Amino acid sequence: MDKIFKLSKKEQVVVQFIMIAWALVVLVPFLSAVLNALKPNVGAVFRDPFGFPDPITWGNFAKAWVNANFGRYFANSAFIALSSVAIVTFASSTTAFVLARMPFKGSTLIFICFMIGVIIPIRLALAPLFDTVRTLGLLDSLWSVIFVQAASMMPVAVFILVSFFQNISKEIEEAAIMDGAMPFTIYWKIMVPLIRPALATIALLTFVQAWNEYFLPLIFIQSEELYPLTLGLNQFNRQFAIQWHMMFAAILIMMAPTIIAFVLASKQFISGLTQGGVKE
Amino acid sequence: MNSQRKSRFSYKSIQNMQKALLLLPGVLLYGIFNFTPLMMMIPTSLVDWPGIGPKEFVGLDNFKKILGNEYYRDQLINAIGQNVVFFVVIIGTFLVIGTSLALLLSFKTYGRKYYQVIYFLPYPMAGAAVAYLLNLFVNPRGPLNALMMQVGLTDAPIPFLGSEDTALTTLALFYSWHRMGFAIMLILSGILAVRTDLLEASMLDGANRWQSIRNVVFPVLGPAFILITVIIMVDVFNNADYTLLIMGAEAGPFRSTDIMGTFLYRSAFGASAAASDANFGMSAAIGLITTLLILPAALFLALKNFRNN
Repeated sequence: MDKIFKLSKKEQVVVQFIMIAWALVVLVPFLSAVLNALKPNVGAVFRDPFGFPDPITWGNFAKAWVNANFGRYFANSAFIALSSVAIVTFASSTTAFVLARMPFKGSTLIFICFMIGVIIPIRLALAPLFDTVRTLGLLDSLWSVIFVQAASMMPVAVFILVSFFQNISKEIEEAAIMDGAMPFTIYWKIMVPLIRPALATIALLTFVQAWNEYFLPLIFIQSEELYPLTLGLNQFNRQFAIQWHMMFAAILIMMAPTIIAFVLASKQFISGLTQGGVKE
Repeated sequence: MNSQRKSRFSYKSIQNMQKALLLLPGVLLYGIFNFTPLMMMIPTSLVDWPGIGPKEFVGLDNFKKILGNEYYRDQLINAIGQNVVFFVVIIGTFLVIGTSLALLLSFKTYGRKYYQVIYFLPYPMAGAAVAYLLNLFVNPRGPLNALMMQVGLTDAPIPFLGSEDTALTTLALFYSWHRMGFAIMLILSGILAVRTDLLEASMLDGANRWQSIRNVVFPVLGPAFILITVIIMVDVFNNADYTLLIMGAEAGPFRSTDIMGTFLYRSAFGASAAASDANFGMSAAIGLITTLLILPAALFLALKNFRNN
């Protein structure tokens, strides 16, 4: 067994060489972004893209934040992502609870309808989706993005939670029902504490997905003061395309929250990936 | 529950009411903003409708136009063909580089925990940020070209995204760079799940390392490969964020980066706000055709998940 996975010294060197090579492929674009975001002007970027910034200019981040309205975009993205997380964790857990623990006539049909959402990506229904949002008067409002984003996460969330609920033993629940507990109480007092790990995974997936979403805001939002970061970066690119040092600073601002979320919760992230991998 | 309500309703009916109230929010949310639009693709595909004003019922005309009218058919064929190239480049890099790195990570390598984190780092980042970062990185005046000229790999900067020949492949490689961690993790978890007694048996039979890997590990990786292929396929046939971000809806240069997602977007909203050829019916028809293209893969994925359940 060990013979397969243990490496001799010579092999170790070769393997390290390959590993470092790919690490460089991943890290060099980042490092060039950091180096160049700190440069005082775009001339310094073009002259020597890998040169050390001189003087180190932290002001680019402040400039992007203030002048280019990134503070506003950041707040919009945060509002969209957090609202989506709240809605998805609540709505998927209550629905999955009823479907898994208190099945009724027609609950299988509802579950199948949810599975159709796993199979067919909502983006393909672009035209009817746009029409629905407009009919409801939600066009050019953050709620359009929040609701559609949350709804698109529902199938995967319900799927993960239903299988989670089915693995919880019936006994605690039956005892509670004997005591006259109502579904609300069973859901809140018994089930929510038990499904917390699955809920954390779903919350993380939803947060990252909503924070990174570009397409939904693109089709639903027109007013610039409602732009999330993804659209803001697009706007910024139009204004400052030639100001590379500013572009790099803006890109780094945008990347920060999801990277922090990843570093804090890389374990849930990777386990969520294998479960939620259904919907990329 | 307060006592007043208890007296007015029986235990059973309160229970049913609460059940309904728990079920409803999720069903309504999903029903309104996901399921209904998906189903509405079918009736919408049968009308001619610029998005506002009256709808005109035209039967299967939209499909006839897409498959028969040269203007649309050429775009469709172009988009599907380029989408397939896009997909093949991505899946090729995932299977070759992803498998090699996952295999090396499964050995007792120094620092493999750190490598894992580094390799996964791009995955949680926004597509928009990755697109612009790499766009600047591979620009003729950007760091990559500067580096290549310094080491003498090339004399003149290469316009990776500016040339028809390389733009599509470059966008596909952006995608691979962004999502490689995902492929590595799935393959690695497949390798780690190989039963140790099988490996030990193969060692006892006198197989060397490469023989053991080829005969014991690779066969077990089949499901992981299929899973990755299907997930990526469904994703790249509906998601065209990189093209939209970097090239815009016109998918330049000369539509050489046009894939199904951008074609669909143009058909609904036109390439620019001023374009008059927008037709929601056409867009829904293209959506349905794309659905048919990815349905076998998607159904396979869904069934597989059911079985695992």
